[in-house]
Formats: sequence, C-alpha cells, structure tokens
Amino acid sequence: MQFILQGLYQAFRLLFTGDSATYEIALRSLEVSVAALAVSLVVGVPAAAVIALTRFPGRRRAVAIVNTGMGVPPVVVGLVVALFLWRSGPLGSLNLMYTLQAMIIAQVLIALPIVVGLSLAALQQVGRGFRLQMMALGAGRWKMFLMLLREIKVPLMAAVMAAFGGVISEVGAVLMVGGNIVGQTQVLTTGIVTYTSMGLFASAVALAVVLMILSFSTNYAMTLIQQYGTKSA
Amino acid sequence: MVPEPLLEGRELRVVRDGATLVHVERFALAAGEVHVLLGPNGAGKTTLMRALNGLESAEGELLFEGRPVRSNRDRLRLRRHTAAVFQQAYLLATTVRANVESGLRLRGVRGQELKRRTDQALEMLSISHLAARRRKGLSGGESQRVSIARAFAVDPAVVFLDEPMASLDPPTRRALLADLELIFRRLSTAVLWVTHDTEEALAVADRVTFLADGRVVQEGSTTEVFNHPASAVVAEYLGADVWLEGDVVFGADGDTRLVLAGGQVLVCAEAEAGPAVACIHPGDVLLFLAPPQTLGASVRNVLEVTVRSLRPSGQAVIVTLDWGEHRLEALLTRAACEELSLEPGHAVYAAVKATAVQVLPRGAGRRP
Repeated sequence: MQFILQGLYQAFRLLFTGDSATYEIALRSLEVSVAALAVSLVVGVPAAAVIALTRFPGRRRAVAIVNTGMGVPPVVVGLVVALFLWRSGPLGSLNLMYTLQAMIIAQVLIALPIVVGLSLAALQQVGRGFRLQMMALGAGRWKMFLMLLREIKVPLMAAVMAAFGGVISEVGAVLMVGGNIVGQTQVLTTGIVTYTSMGLFASAVALAVVLMILSFSTNYAMTLIQQYGTKSA
Repeated sequence: MVPEPLLEGRELRVVRDGATLVHVERFALAAGEVHVLLGPNGAGKTTLMRALNGLESAEGELLFEGRPVRSNRDRLRLRRHTAAVFQQAYLLATTVRANVESGLRLRGVRGQELKRRTDQALEMLSISHLAARRRKGLSGGESQRVSIARAFAVDPAVVFLDEPMASLDPPTRRALLADLELIFRRLSTAVLWVTHDTEEALAVADRVTFLADGRVVQEGSTTEVFNHPASAVVAEYLGADVWLEGDVVFGADGDTRLVLAGGQVLVCAEAEAGPAVACIHPGDVLLFLAPPQTLGASVRNVLEVTVRSLRPSGQAVIVTLDWGEHRLEALLTRAACEELSLEPGHAVYAAVKATAVQVLPRGAGRRP
C-alpha cells in the first residue's frame, strides 16, 4: 500500500516540478498518437465516404475487411510492421525500424480501421434522400462531403475519440517496432511496462497518471467539440 | 412562335436493374408555368422529376435553357440554377437561418446580399420568427416552410417540388398551399410539382402531365386534363367511377348523343360516332326535387333518377342514383343533402351539362 501512495506522490512531484524526462515521454506519446490519428483521419474519412456513397465491385468485401481490421490485435499489427521494416524485410532499406516513424505506421494501421469503420457506419445512416437534397441544393462532390461530415459530426467525433483512445493506450505494437529506447522511442505505455518490470512502481504510476491526464483532457476537449451546438438540437 | 421550353426532356428513359421505370418521349416545362406531374403512386413521377433535375441518370436528351445537359458539370450547372423540395424537409443540423443560407452560400453569395436574400425568403414563407431556432425544435409544417424558403432564396429558374405536402396534416397543408399559390403568382419561377393529389393539382397547376406506369398518358392545360380526360385511366383517377356504355350518334339538330342500352339518351360533348363509353364526374351532377326550370342552355340532360344510397365522403356525400338499368353518382355537400332530405328510394332529377359527359372510344384505357 505504501508504494502505491509513494507512487502517486512521486507522480505529482514529477508533474508539478516540471520533470523534463516525464514531459519528454508525454510529448513523444502525444506526437506519435496525434500524427497517427491525423493520417488515419485524412485517409480514413474520405475512404469511408467512397465506400458508403458509391457502388463498386467488391464493396461488401471492403466493408468486411474494415470491420475485421477493427478487431485485429495490436501485437499482430506490430509483428506485421516489424516483418516489413526489419533489415531483411521488404521495406528494410528505409531504415525505419525502431524509429518514431515506425511507431506512427503501426498506430495508423491500428487507428485506420476504427476511423473508416465508424465513419462508414455513420455515413450509411444518412439516407439517400438527404444526399439528393444536398445535390439538389447545388452541392458538388466536395461540398456534399463537407455537409455530410457536418451531419455526422457526433458519431464522427466518437470515431476520432475511439481511434485516439486506441493508439494512445496501445503498447504491444509500439514496443515491437519502436524498441522502447529511452530518450528516443520510449512512450508513456512502454515506459510504464519497463518501470513496472523493473519494480520502479513510483515512476510507473507517475507515467500512468500522466497518461490518464493526457487521455482524459484530450477526450474532454474532443467531447466539447462533439457536443457543441447539439444542446438544443 | 412557340417560346423555347426552359427545361425539356426528349426520349428520356430511366432504367434500373434492367427494368424501364420511366420512358417519356417529350416533356417540356415553360418559363414561369406551374406544371404538375400527376398520377398514382409508382407511376414514375418522382423518377421523372429526378431525371429532369439531373439527380437521376437517364438515357435520352435533357435540355436546360436550350443547352444539352450531358456531363456531371452540366448537371451541376442545372442544379445550381434550380432548387428542389422533397416530401421530407432534409434540413441541415443547424439553425433555420443557416439552412436558408445554405443554397446561397453554395452559390458564393456572401455579406449583405446573403443577409438580404435570406431575410426575404424567411419573410416570404412567414418564418422570420424561427430564424434562430434549430431544426429539431421545428414542426413538420415549419420544417417544410424552411425547406421551401431555402429553395426560393436562391432565385431559381425552376423549383422542383416532390410531394411537398404529403407528410403534413390538413390545416398545415391548406395554409402552406395558400401561401404557395401567392408566391407562384408573385414570382416568375417555373415550378414542377409532383403530386398524386388532384386537389393540389387543381389548386396550383397551369399545366398537368398525367403519368401512369412510367409513361405520359395525357398532357395539357389543367382544364383540358380535368375536363377532357383522354383515357379511362385518367378519368378514373380524376374521380369518374361510373361508366356508361353505348353508341355515339349525331342528332338531326347537330347534337352529339350517346344512346345507351335500354334506350336512354345523353347529349354529350363532341365525339366520334360509334361504340363508346362515357363517364360523368360526380361533381358535375346536380340534383333537384322537381324538374329544374332555370338552368342554363348548356344543361342539356335532365334525367329522372332514383336515389339508391348515400355514402359520406369527408365533408361531402356521394349519392348513388339509379337511372333505368344504369347507375350515376352525384357529389353533394352535407348541407345540400340535408336540404333536399335525400333518402334511398326518393325520386329526384339529375341535371348534367353536355360538356360534363366525357366520351371515350370503347376500349380506350382499362374500361370496355
């Protein structure tokens, strides 16, 4: 019990004294996860729109792949990325193994199916009638896409939060492709794993508290965006 | 010289999954006219409207302001010069004002011009007081007014209205219909109105195109279509339930007469001699307790009939009459019915104008 309290005390001491190592790890975590989320959104939302709004051969198969992708364990993603980026792997010449870029790639592969799957479901809820009305109003493809995003703002933000939650808390894949190198590729989750295995519970709790604060504050901010304008419907 | 139509479809054919949903040889909408696409459910009215608005891909030729509409770019241009209102309002998840502004914004209107035109449209539909409200707080009638305001705000050359009243309750419908009639009279916008409701068509239409099974059955002015249905399908749809079979002959005085089985004679509108069927709309049959003395010269038929039954229909009563072996129907108000004290078995006189007897060659449409 003593070490838990000690851990909490240590955590707040590190946070409020501005411990550079802790903040560095926190910022690295945020950098990797936000980058992965941004890539997933830029690629995933238009992809969801194409799948939801157009008809093409293999469309159902694409939906099934996306839905399956949402349930793939992160360690499997980590393994696949590691196999590709390994020195003797197909992309080994890029020398990305044990870099932040490798971690971002792994997290994109984890977040992308979540973004596509949930956006797709939200877009499919918008009836054809609404889309025809937007077209009749004079919206071209791009404007209609933006109008639809606005229409699905609440479920879309839920998709963003789910994807962000998935990557910020992820440990297996980033550990495998990042290598958990102190000062270079160590992030909050892998740091917690390392400190716990070393019996340094105070440091592990400190990072856990930072992770929780980070996760809560970003989700809170995204919830405010999600709920803006929905009060009076 | 006949003015060039604003919107024209030639040999328009909408095919889906191998089935032809609509095939229209020619459809033309003139500038400033209110044109109603009338017909039963499933006739292809909405599909045709969407094809004319570039929302549904169709074979054939579509011309807007004389220019062919072929590419996606042409279709977008067509939609930017027109506006549409559907059965459901499909408002954006924002305020009424922002909804009315949305079409204008898509056309690049900003600043004072945006405000002026939005205010004008809100005022025109009497919804200025709702400007700050969000869509979910609106009733069905209010939502539809917002949708119509959004359509008229862009000052379109054509407004497509697809059953805009279908989901509204009768008082809301009547109020909106009255406002729309005024708006149509004030603006020069051409309107293509899709409906299955004959009352709506009568209230607003300059011209009517009657569709059935994806084909145009009749096209003409409202008076032409309603007074002279070209086929049994149209006549039945417009309310003629009773059909009389006989032969058209020409009288010595030049009258056109339909001689029925049993010898009864009806003076009718112009028709070709030979076997024919005739229908009389119940609204065109007037009933009297004694032979009428003061009717105009156009009332050429006064028939001795017997009341068979009375059937309430909304605010009116449909009176079924026996005329020898034949049957007629008359549509009376409840007040008129009470005034005449009509009961089954009563002998009365039915007066029918010659022009109200619609004669079709036998075999036209579904009837014999």
